[in-house]
Amino acid sequence: MCKWCMKHGAGGKWYLNARNYSNELAESMNLRAYLEEQWRNFEQVYIRKIMGVSSIGLGYKLKMPIIGRLIRWSVERMIHSESPNRNPVRADGHFGQVIPIEEAKLIMMNLAAEPIIRNYCMCRMMQKGIKDACCINFGLLSGVIEKLPRFIPENMKTRITREEAVEALEEQNQKGRVSTVWFQPVPYINAICSCEVPQCGGLRLRMDYGLYTVYKAEYVAEVNPDLCQGCKACVARCQFGAIRFSPTLERVIIDLTKCFGCGLCRDICHYNAIRLVPRDEVPGVKGKY
Amino acid sequence: MGKTKIKIDYSKCGNATGGIDPRSCGKCLFVCDPAVFVRHPAIGVKEENPYDPRCWQVTAVWLDLCTRCGKCVEVCPQKAITVSW
Repeated sequence: MCKWCMKHGAGGKWYLNARNYSNELAESMNLRAYLEEQWRNFEQVYIRKIMGVSSIGLGYKLKMPIIGRLIRWSVERMIHSESPNRNPVRADGHFGQVIPIEEAKLIMMNLAAEPIIRNYCMCRMMQKGIKDACCINFGLLSGVIEKLPRFIPENMKTRITREEAVEALEEQNQKGRVSTVWFQPVPYINAICSCEVPQCGGLRLRMDYGLYTVYKAEYVAEVNPDLCQGCKACVARCQFGAIRFSPTLERVIIDLTKCFGCGLCRDICHYNAIRLVPRDEVPGVKGKY
Repeated sequence: MGKTKIKIDYSKCGNATGGIDPRSCGKCLFVCDPAVFVRHPAIGVKEENPYDPRCWQVTAVWLDLCTRCGKCVEVCPQKAITVSW
């Protein structure tokens, strides 16, 4: 169990705690004005100088001897900030976790606060120029995004029911996208995204720069060597390079240190050879989110 | 590998300075495999109004991930991008 579950999970996983989805929590944190300000110019988050440093050439900056470590420390501190004095032009307290599809569905059906909307994925829009209505936002954030026309999908229903949201998640899973659930800001949860490397802002910072914007799931994938037929269908689905086909063994092998536990490989497997096991049960990756 | 520099000539790309509107183009964004570019409302130009079409521009943000393939230079209809190292 990660430290966010300890703090905000009420005895379970943080994203399964109904309190974190409640309108009361959002109101007590006074979030409407904050989120409106944050979303108005969200695309500027990489360009804007935050504490004197912008993300332009971030990799070079992080490699600088002492300053690099200082930047890393301050970015981590910003992402995980729980202070009430948040600055809306930064991504304060905005981080997420990978979840398998069944938990995304569970959240959508039971926990997400109304109204539920779908909107264009901001990351994909700003980094790839592609309009793809895959992000599902709910609660207070829905009202905020509905006022920003550039995120509203054309020729498509924006406000959706829980069933439609589950269907949309399912469709994204079929396409090979990873479900993630997001604090924005911690501990208020208001989005489930269907992310894709490399254009997802969160996964980019995690995979390329090792910043903890996205945590790995509470699970890891495990192959049953007897059932795997070596069809390689799962290999093409993994975005994290954790799975490969071994010609010697004539089956796939999984690198647990790279596995994010999203379950995409399991969902495509025709032979039910892959299952998700709780991260805590595997000593090598226990506690390594 | 030394540092990669990607320069974008905003007199050719970016509506505020007389170039084309990057929101109607976006070819460099699409063609870049490591997704180095970000399209965003410019800071300081028309900050009070993010819907002003003139305030959008493209910046190369993740410079260290650039693989120097040169596709963006080729694809840019305005020849606004130069990559050097």
